Amino acid sequence: MRNYILKRVLILIPLLLTVSILVFLVLRLGANDPAMAYLRLSRIPPTDEALCAARQLLGLDRPWAVQYLDWLWHAVRLDFGNAYVTGAPVLARILYYLPNTLYLAGVSLLMTIVLSLPLGILAALNKDRWPDHLTRALAFTGVSMPGFWLGFLLVMLFSIRLGWLPPMGKGGVSHVIMPAFTLALMSLCINIRLMRGSMLEQLNTRSVLYARVRGLSERRVMGCHVLKNSLIPVVTAIGMHIGEMLGGAVVVEMIFSWPGVGRFAVSSIYNRDFPVMQCFILMMTMIFVFCNLAVDILYAWIDPRIRTGKGPDACI
Amino acid sequence: MAFLQVTRAVSTDGSVWRTNRAIVCEWGRRMRIWVLAVVLVSAAAAVPAAGPQTLVYSWSGNVGPLNPHLYSPNQMFAQAMVYEPLVRYTAEGGIAPWLAAAWEISADRRIYTFHLRHEVSFSDGTPFTAQAAKKNFDTVIANGRSHSWLALVAVIAEVRVIDDHTLQLILKQPYYPVLEDLALVRPFRFLSPAAFPPGGQTADGIRAPIGTGPWRLAESRLGEYDLFLRNERYWGFRPKIERIRVKVISDPNTCAVAFQAGEIDLIYGDDQISPFTYMLFRGDRRYSSGTSPPLATRALALNSAHGPTREIAVRRAIQHAVDKEALVKGVLLDTETRADTLLSPTRPYCNLGLTPRGHDPALAERLLDDAGWRRTDDERFRSKAGRPLSLDLCFIGKSALQKSIAEVVQADLQQVGIRVLLKGVEEDMFGKYQKEGAFHMIFNDTWGPPYEPHAYCSSMRVPSHADYQAQAGLPMKADIDAWIARVLVSTDENERRRLYREILSTLHDQAVYLPISYTTGLMVHGPDLAGVAYGPTRYEIAFEAMVKKQAATGLSPATEGHHAQLHP
Repeated sequence: MRNYILKRVLILIPLLLTVSILVFLVLRLGANDPAMAYLRLSRIPPTDEALCAARQLLGLDRPWAVQYLDWLWHAVRLDFGNAYVTGAPVLARILYYLPNTLYLAGVSLLMTIVLSLPLGILAALNKDRWPDHLTRALAFTGVSMPGFWLGFLLVMLFSIRLGWLPPMGKGGVSHVIMPAFTLALMSLCINIRLMRGSMLEQLNTRSVLYARVRGLSERRVMGCHVLKNSLIPVVTAIGMHIGEMLGGAVVVEMIFSWPGVGRFAVSSIYNRDFPVMQCFILMMTMIFVFCNLAVDILYAWIDPRIRTGKGPDACI
Repeated sequence: MAFLQVTRAVSTDGSVWRTNRAIVCEWGRRMRIWVLAVVLVSAAAAVPAAGPQTLVYSWSGNVGPLNPHLYSPNQMFAQAMVYEPLVRYTAEGGIAPWLAAAWEISADRRIYTFHLRHEVSFSDGTPFTAQAAKKNFDTVIANGRSHSWLALVAVIAEVRVIDDHTLQLILKQPYYPVLEDLALVRPFRFLSPAAFPPGGQTADGIRAPIGTGPWRLAESRLGEYDLFLRNERYWGFRPKIERIRVKVISDPNTCAVAFQAGEIDLIYGDDQISPFTYMLFRGDRRYSSGTSPPLATRALALNSAHGPTREIAVRRAIQHAVDKEALVKGVLLDTETRADTLLSPTRPYCNLGLTPRGHDPALAERLLDDAGWRRTDDERFRSKAGRPLSLDLCFIGKSALQKSIAEVVQADLQQVGIRVLLKGVEEDMFGKYQKEGAFHMIFNDTWGPPYEPHAYCSSMRVPSHADYQAQAGLPMKADIDAWIARVLVSTDENERRRLYREILSTLHDQAVYLPISYTTGLMVHGPDLAGVAYGPTRYEIAFEAMVKKQAATGLSPATEGHHAQLHP
């Protein structure tokens, strides 16, 4: 396992290098000029002199190769340069906003787990009865509803009509409820369906039958045999949900004015702030890789067949 | 076989489902606890209401470090709160004393002598003197390359300190809009000498945003808010409100929702909410709403150097084909007024009595017919010598308003046989099209006061502007540029009037612009806020005149400015 983890971490180096080159090229191959964006934001007419001065100021007057190597040289020492728009160090800004996004994504993940598992179990244990129908309807609606629409509906109801929750910004626990729920709903609904399906599948396996034949208590059968095995696909999905949540946070942070890295990234994209975009994409790549790694490790911990490398019948 | 029997036995006697129901009940109990916890947290989470001494406003980003001599990310409205100019632009288009109580201009218009107010100090207690003012002028001039768009920076030859409260600007040549340029929000405003960086050049940054204005920046939380406190050392009228919290809300819909939920007290500006949202608030009796006087002109530039719009007949036909009245009513929802001239007649030198070009599709068709652009009975669009009468209209793709206007223009022009292809592009690409003249028609708003008419006309001589590109095909373009150059250095008021008449009437006559409407700022606030007024420019917000009613013991004297046209 240790070698496996080490190997996965080492793969990060060529991966990040490739991503950095691709991002660098994609950004520069576009027709957009950050100097133009800088002048627009500064409300300065884009005369040739002003453009020239802005390009010099932003270091865009050098050849691409020089720009990239200079950036890489600094990046390996964790200096990702300064943002074009604010002039502030990029890494410091991203690290300033990142905890807010992780907090939001963390609460969303918690909501997903806390709500989806019991609802999925409830649906499975009441297959084709009203709790199952209700949960399926909820799951269908939730999966179909776009986050930006749900966000505004929640705000309309809980902030404007009822006045229970603040509509925007970061503050106490109350501020995170609506954005986290908006972010969580899709993953939550997917997980409900997954949990239900997986649980129904497990309930019909021979291992469960034999466990009951062995006279094990129902609590033990459900806990050790059904629930634990049902969790495997859910854990895999949760690994993907983390990525979805970090990506989905971009929209949710805009709607709820949440001071996270997603909103910062959106404004950077809009402002053609290349250093911020490069650092953001690299950081997200790292987070995705580490999340997948964590899921794989968890997967192996839950399922001994993966850990031991033996076949599917190993535990029967 | 035994396995199958056991399975049936377990499944048919119902014990499994009874056990399942027990599990469900247990989960139900657990979930109830969770739901209760969430409700309790929600109930405990009261929305923090701003007190009567705090006004909450919103902006799309943080206000920045507030360097008075630099641009992005410093936000102009916030720079204007903290820093003040020597002279101020008035609502009537004139210039009024501010940090300079009086001034004299030499006969050759090359020496401006300013007498500074004695009672002014920066918010850190440093007195505002001629030496402090010179230090600011010098650093702006030293960083002249960043201000190449502003002619005054290049025109100043020297700044002299005569005594502690007398400052002289020596110009290289006469330049009539000196006072107008000094009234701009940036770069000629004043930072405390104590806040200069060690190198003495503000191009390298500042130690702290310390000015003479009625507000001082007390706190900035990135992505959340900026907090301004009243400057207790302020020399002018003391604001009634103690604090202004500017929340970061980048989405206009979120801004509207935050206002409805009571998170912000005021919506104010020309792009904070859409006309549609504004009309919703206007119809709500709980709120006061208003629009500002004309801020700028929403117009299309018609390229006289490229494509069919090279012909004056086509440009004139476009003027008569577009139903601006319907557009203002249907798309802008009457939040703006129809524009008949490029610059509002309320601007200095702009009330020229030019003849409006009204909506007259029949006349438009006649003009096109006479110019040889004809269509046969089975053709929708006109053509001449095999060339179709097809024009592109560029707009900023993400601007829903521009897109709607473009669609109306497209439909109107189609009625007279002109085919219009809409090109929605990104903002920077849009700027590039404007700069390179790669358009037939393109949105090109004017700049509003205090830039009109002098700075806006001045920019028409620079190829990087859509105005230059649109005018490039005019036979008298060289004359227009020469008139503009002359008007800027003219020392004779009558000659200036004459030259502006030449410039603006020629542009009107040549139909290189399709003025659509005069843009306005939209303002909405609750009943607890009073004294909300529109300043003379779109870049300054007169927070100092505002009062939250619980805190009011009487209105503070309003600074010069328009009170918005309030609707009940």
